[in-house]
Amino acid sequence: MTGVRLRDVTVSFDGVTALEEVSLAVEPGEFFTLVGPSGCGKTTTLRTVAGFETPESGTVEIGGDVADGPPEDRDVGVVFQDYALFPHMSVRENVAYGLRYRDPPGDVSTNERVAELLDLVDMGGMGDRDPDELSGGQQQRVALARALAPGPDVLLLDEPLSALDARLRERLRLVVREIQRDLGITTVYVTHDQTEALAISDRVAVVNGGRVEQVATPETVYREPATRFVAEFVGDNNVLDGTVASTAPPRVAVGTGPGEPGDEGGEAVLPVAEAPAEGRPVAASIRPEAFRLGDADAPATLSATVTTAEFVGDSYRVHCDWRGHALLVTAAATDAPTGEVTLGFDPADVTVLEEP
Amino acid sequence: MASRAERVALPAGVAATAVALAAVFYVPVGSVLVEAVVVAGRPTLGPILAVLADPFYTGVGHHLVVDPLGVPAGVVDWVTSGFPSVRLGLFGFTAYQAALSTVASVLLGLPGAYVLARFEFRGRETLRSLTIVPFVLPAIMVAVGFVAMFGRTGLFNDLLGLVGLGPISVLYSLEAIVLAHAFYNAPLVTRLVATAWESVDRRQVESARAMGASPLAAFRDVVVPTLRPALLTAALLTFVFTFLSFPIVLKLGGLQHATVEVWVYDRVQVLDLTTAATLATVETVLSLGLTYLYLRYEARQRGAGGAGRSLARKPLAVGWQTLTSPVRLAVFAYGLVVAVVFLGPLASLVVESITRPDGTLTTAYYEFLLAQQASSAVGTARPLPAIVNSLVFGAGTLLLAVPMGVVVALVATRGGRGSRLAEALLSAPLAVSGIVVGLGLLQTAVFGTEVLGYRLTVAGPVAIVFAHAAAAYPFVTRNVAPALGGLDVRFRDAARSLGASRLRALVDVELPLVAAAVLAGAAFAFAISVGEFDSTVLLAEGVDSYTMPVALDRYVGNRSIGPSLGPATAMGTVLLAITGLSFVAIDRLGGRWAP
Repeated sequence: MTGVRLRDVTVSFDGVTALEEVSLAVEPGEFFTLVGPSGCGKTTTLRTVAGFETPESGTVEIGGDVADGPPEDRDVGVVFQDYALFPHMSVRENVAYGLRYRDPPGDVSTNERVAELLDLVDMGGMGDRDPDELSGGQQQRVALARALAPGPDVLLLDEPLSALDARLRERLRLVVREIQRDLGITTVYVTHDQTEALAISDRVAVVNGGRVEQVATPETVYREPATRFVAEFVGDNNVLDGTVASTAPPRVAVGTGPGEPGDEGGEAVLPVAEAPAEGRPVAASIRPEAFRLGDADAPATLSATVTTAEFVGDSYRVHCDWRGHALLVTAAATDAPTGEVTLGFDPADVTVLEEP
Repeated sequence: MASRAERVALPAGVAATAVALAAVFYVPVGSVLVEAVVVAGRPTLGPILAVLADPFYTGVGHHLVVDPLGVPAGVVDWVTSGFPSVRLGLFGFTAYQAALSTVASVLLGLPGAYVLARFEFRGRETLRSLTIVPFVLPAIMVAVGFVAMFGRTGLFNDLLGLVGLGPISVLYSLEAIVLAHAFYNAPLVTRLVATAWESVDRRQVESARAMGASPLAAFRDVVVPTLRPALLTAALLTFVFTFLSFPIVLKLGGLQHATVEVWVYDRVQVLDLTTAATLATVETVLSLGLTYLYLRYEARQRGAGGAGRSLARKPLAVGWQTLTSPVRLAVFAYGLVVAVVFLGPLASLVVESITRPDGTLTTAYYEFLLAQQASSAVGTARPLPAIVNSLVFGAGTLLLAVPMGVVVALVATRGGRGSRLAEALLSAPLAVSGIVVGLGLLQTAVFGTEVLGYRLTVAGPVAIVFAHAAAAYPFVTRNVAPALGGLDVRFRDAARSLGASRLRALVDVELPLVAAAVLAGAAFAFAISVGEFDSTVLLAEGVDSYTMPVALDRYVGNRSIGPSLGPATAMGTVLLAITGLSFVAIDRLGGRWAP
């Protein structure tokens, strides 16, 4: 199996830097996801691995060898956003196209290989259709079969599900994940949807402004965001700016910028598990579900006022005001909370991020 | 793995296209320039200054060269003596007729844009696609059609005679030239302005109205700013085209209404090549300057069109009330004018080819063509070789212009510096007349060029194909480039990620997907070749390489069968049939011409 490695890759278009010294290592057989807002450089990263973009500096390695040739010389399969199925070819011809230039793995004929792949994506018997006769989900499956047919070492998927409606997207991401697991193929997946990234991946790289902010398992990215951007981008979160009020016990005074003295009166002070040196500017992040509404016995408590409660089915999203700061709290209550509430939490659930 | 040959095929194609462009266009045109500014091996501005200082060429403007300091006093004299008419000179007259032609084209074309954009009626789409017809109609044939329509014995005077009017004579006058130029360029105005009108977003007009603007104010504030650039673009293009127009002026104006282009042709005929080259150079510099302005202006306007919904169209015919609607009556009156100006000449061409001056039916003119064919007299323009030559040159033009046009389209759609260069390459033939290209090819290809110690000469027929390819390849590119540019790059990327080389991706995926545009471009190229007159007439001096338009020209001049236009109209009808077929092909394949 083959790993993919980027070393200090910089890519720019007309003088605008799209990727800045990006280094990543995708393990063999891993399902690795690049996630970030649009324009962050995740698709550029994928296109650089595929050979569509040439790095200004740095190298791409596929299977330990430096890959600097054109796309046709790299053993990668690509599934594009909107699929890019060739409209003048049938489903079968689309899947067979890569076999004109590459031999399928094993000693099978082109026809056998095409049939095998169409079965794999549950599209057997659809070979004679034209792409425009297929639904979006079917086109997506054909695109996957086409990319896999020549037996590539690496599979690259660029927002493959973004054109589909939400339910189909959830179903197909399971299909993609299962096929990837069965084949054990090294996969790089690009999405702007952080939920999808968390659900599907072995590891996630959060990309922002042409740089990688954090590479970790979905759990770690969610629970221990490495940067303020990751804390805000992945999932709902409360990110509060402040300064370290004291280190023993560790506390963060919220809403006090650099240079402002911490509020001695103890207003808007958040107990945390650990904090760097006193007076340092930090951001404290705490997930909405880390609060327990009305739990006065929790290791730490805040009292806040409910401003709005939104019913979202399995719970309420409660918007609170805590001493002038907005807090989002997830509460599994039966009735919409109102008025003064106590928010219990564990200081260990607060992540303190040092501001640069 | 892509083979080496495939790797180099595309760069080689680009290089071959560059060489072909140089051979068919840039070197010949360059040689004309050199002829004008190099005398006896030394660079000099002498010939150009001599032309500029000659009142015959520059009229009152020659004072600028001869006595620049006296110009202010001269202008004051002219103003104080009440603006007497001044001598325009050849260049002045050329610009004057181009300006008049531009005004006429705008006046005739603008109502058409209004009708196409704002009214719904049967055949609207057909009418819209018919506006590209003039681009595939040979100018010499149109000139003959105008003679057939507006000549003393023409259809127009026949019709006037029926109602007891006429006869009037519009031929061999400035009016005839201007009218024929409007025939060519009014549809361009219609097309460009109608497209702009349709790009007006309905919601913008509705917003203006909702904020209190009257319909007229909304038109002024929202619609007019959208139409203005399109109108200016069309007017600039019309001016350039009519400034360089040749067969129309030659046939409908004669030497007393000669333009620079006609005079260049005349100078070549009497083998005064230096004067011809000098005039051609001055003319080309002027038209290149105008084309540069056009491109600058057009580039600034590009992308202005909205993707919103267009304004709703009103039905044109609304039962009996149609007769009481002044706007609709005006539209029908306009339709009548359009029918006379556009259908008249073409219908007259066909009618005159089968009727005697007294109105009786005859096949004599077609028999004349057959007799010419059978004749063995020297200098006879036999019709069959003309038809065969036209078709062979057309095929040759396809072989050269289609690959060239596709390669330039590829470079143009790749973006970056290359695409700007391709844009310039495309625009240059627009600004250089066929006569100049023909003159240049005569000097370089036919008389021979020294390359690495070898003297390369090219036979007349090959030079004709070169000239046709130079005129035709921009049409291929104009059709193919938008199609290629509109193609999702992911098709190409998908093919390459599946192992196809750049060339294979082009052949397997991109070209099949733009096949219709390539074919439409090819049909354009063929039609341009079949109708090309300006350079062909210079290069077809030999007896064996004349084409249908050249034969047509010779029949017009042939008085051996009396003052009848008959044989020319018969030949013109044959030419009309062949270009008509090209048009059908273009239309079926969805061809476009967006200069």
